[in-house]
Amino acid sequence: MNPSRPLFTWSLILIVGFLTLCPVLMLLLGSFSEGLTAFGVFTTSKYVAAYTDPALFDVTYNTVVFVLGSSVLSTLLALVLAYLNTRTDIPFKPVFTVLSIVPMMIPHLLFSVSWALLLNPSNGLLNVFLKDVFALQEAPFNIYSLWGMVMVEGLLNMPIAYLIIAPAMAQFDVALEESSRVFGAGVWRTLMRITLPVLRPAILAAFILGIVRSLASYAVPRVLGMPGEVDVLATYLYEMISTGFAPDYGKAAALGMSVLVASISLIVVYRALTSEGGKFVTISGRGFRPAVIELKRARIPIFIGVGVLCLLMIVLPVAVLLYTSLVPYSMVPSARAFSLMSWKHWIEVFQDPVSLLALKNSLFLAVAGATLGVLLSVFVAYVIVKIRTRASGLLESLSFLSFSFPGIVIGIGFMWFFVQTPLYATLTALLLAYIAAYLPYGIRPLASAFVQVHAHLEESSLVCGASPLTTMRRIIVPLLIPGVVSAWILMATMFIRELTVSVVLSRPGTEVLAVQILSFADDGLWGKLSALGIVMILISTALVLLAMYAGEKFKALQGGS
Amino acid sequence: MEIQIEGLSKHYQSEGKTVKALDQVDLTIPANEIFTLLGPSGCGKTTLLRCIVGLETPDEGEIRIGGEVVWSRAKGIAVPPERRGLGMVFQTYAIWPHMSVFDNVAYPLQIRGEAKSVIRDKVARALKFVQLEGVEKRSATKLSGGQQQRVALARALVAEPKVILFDEPLSNLDAKLREETRKELKTFLGELNITAVYVTHDRVEALALSDSIAVMRAGRIVEIGSPQKIYFNADHRYVADFIGRANLIKARVAGRHGDLTVVESGLGSLHCQARDLPEGSEATLCIRPEFIHVDGVASATPQGGQNVIHGRVASMEFVGEVYEAEIHVGAEKLLARLDPDLPVSTGDMVSIRLAPQHCLLVLA
Repeated sequence: MNPSRPLFTWSLILIVGFLTLCPVLMLLLGSFSEGLTAFGVFTTSKYVAAYTDPALFDVTYNTVVFVLGSSVLSTLLALVLAYLNTRTDIPFKPVFTVLSIVPMMIPHLLFSVSWALLLNPSNGLLNVFLKDVFALQEAPFNIYSLWGMVMVEGLLNMPIAYLIIAPAMAQFDVALEESSRVFGAGVWRTLMRITLPVLRPAILAAFILGIVRSLASYAVPRVLGMPGEVDVLATYLYEMISTGFAPDYGKAAALGMSVLVASISLIVVYRALTSEGGKFVTISGRGFRPAVIELKRARIPIFIGVGVLCLLMIVLPVAVLLYTSLVPYSMVPSARAFSLMSWKHWIEVFQDPVSLLALKNSLFLAVAGATLGVLLSVFVAYVIVKIRTRASGLLESLSFLSFSFPGIVIGIGFMWFFVQTPLYATLTALLLAYIAAYLPYGIRPLASAFVQVHAHLEESSLVCGASPLTTMRRIIVPLLIPGVVSAWILMATMFIRELTVSVVLSRPGTEVLAVQILSFADDGLWGKLSALGIVMILISTALVLLAMYAGEKFKALQGGS
Repeated sequence: MEIQIEGLSKHYQSEGKTVKALDQVDLTIPANEIFTLLGPSGCGKTTLLRCIVGLETPDEGEIRIGGEVVWSRAKGIAVPPERRGLGMVFQTYAIWPHMSVFDNVAYPLQIRGEAKSVIRDKVARALKFVQLEGVEKRSATKLSGGQQQRVALARALVAEPKVILFDEPLSNLDAKLREETRKELKTFLGELNITAVYVTHDRVEALALSDSIAVMRAGRIVEIGSPQKIYFNADHRYVADFIGRANLIKARVAGRHGDLTVVESGLGSLHCQARDLPEGSEATLCIRPEFIHVDGVASATPQGGQNVIHGRVASMEFVGEVYEAEIHVGAEKLLARLDPDLPVSTGDMVSIRLAPQHCLLVLA
């Protein structure tokens, strides 16, 4: 019905292009410049400095181990959980849904902190406890190490991998397996020769997404790596721009280029894999259910294993934070500890002007950022889904590209930009950078909402005699609302906890929650940290629950198609 | 209402090439008939329908509905779809998922601002008409495919339009349901005094439902006629081939014999349906398998001016109600349907009777 409206499409390309490409271009130009104040003065010395630094070898090694290790862990865990949930008779299946959603509510920063509180070598609760019980000389675990980082990052990325693998497994055509059994292969052989190879695109996609995410991960290496001086690229980059007297944004930009190129290549591979996935999808139509495999005697032990995982991922982090926020200083839970509990840290946090400012800033960024972000996403999603021209394809690629950008690199790119403008050290700068970095999170739910609004739904309203405006009001908007709501809430939760972009761009006066929590961590103020952290978790949880409630509400309203 | 289309063209670009979706289409759809646009996918039938309803804008030409010009390049008229007052059933049904069955059907009336009580009555009547009572409160997307189809029909009928358009409305149903729904649809439309334009690629659907069929190819209308005319007496080889299974054999006109045309072909000299063709001109002989009468080995006497030819049964295949046999007559191969009782087996010589009125001459 609509002509392609090239002007509209191109102005969107301009906006999204600015948000996506500005940090990249500034990063590129910056990497060839003398310094923030000498922008545009050409030099290659930053590349020489960045890539000849002897420390880079160790950093690269750590990064590779961290990234691959955590991705293998998250993919394997997700695979096992998805298999158990979709194909076996394990009890209490709703638990799996909880496992896949809850980490959305617990920010990575706080998850890492809670593990530090549990397993740090000097006074980690679990370490102290084990030392007392077994009369050990030294702490049995040290979370401030490469394996600690791998474990925590792996647990954090597991839900994403699960959300990719589980649907693929649920759609698996059981006839493929049955025919293998008929031809004489056992359960195990069938799993290895048929099931896993057919699921390969989904598994690879989950693995690569894990790599992209852990490469961009800053919270885990910052909290668990820095105390033990285990640097990965993200923290190494941050140290370059933060170490007090001589921050070198040029060198950081030069190194950041490699990280960016690696991420973009990976996301291109990921995209190719997920679009190629169509070939392998084996949905054979209506109403079939894959045969359920009986676990028999292993049923209960395996369930207990899943239960322990839930405990590790959900209960423990929150419990540790809550406990730490109430006791005066780090101590193993005991009668005495409980008798000493007080609201001291909570009161201090709510009397701390910087914490209050951070809370205020974060709330503002979440509300304003999510609103603007969703507004932009609605238009972009409309163009991507409904206007199929070459220009809209360009827009789609642009908006997907930023999905791969590591926050810290984008932050550095934006720093080069904002320093040249009056926006430097303002909330507006953070707002722009947030929207740029998280735009795909708004576009994706809205694009799928638009896909659901089949052109015929719109057209039949017109044929029935409704004007385009009435059609918009009575048909399109009501069908889009669920998408808008979930996109808004998704963006808002992202912004409430945002760390990696903020850590580069936040300045005194524009503190945000995550940055403030990090500064408590640096000062060892674990009690205050925990109190503020729980506030953050509560806000995130409230938003996610609201999203689920709103989703159910609209589903009921629409009869859940 | 009558629909008149004159010189309608619509081009679009696809992968760098210009595709003629509609190429100078002239068409008159008579009032109060079921008129079917039939053709393979990509022949332009859906584009033509969407131009009539106003969802697609043609490049050239004019469309008149009941005498009123709704689109004309030359006159600069373009009535938007919502003001053409038509009803339409979409291929996907386009049932709005956020509304109940009642709201879906009531929508066209609500848009017109009719009184609540009138709406209630009319919706009830429309739902009763499509035999879908008692589901008003249900969410429309919870219904089965066949029921959704009826909701879509009720919605298209509720405002009593003079013209209703169908865009492959049965193609999303499974085979059995499709047949049932087709019969119902025929009954429903028979009871209404309405012009129905029906788009399909299914020849059985077209034959069973229509008063008239227009067969389309590559943006043009090849032939228009009643289902019987299209099936038994098509003018074009393309139409004869598309509408049913046919043996197509090259032939040359040899002359006249009474009111029959005589041709020479690989089957020998045959009397065919009368055609106004000059002697010596090339044509295609079209014989449908069901009109090839195989008489077994012995009998060979011509009856009532029928053609008799002889051939050898090359292969036989049992398909249920009949055997399908390939019979070689000289260098030509004929597909025929043999009665299961006929005492014939592979390799036998048989005689074949062909009634002249079923020996169709079509343009190549």
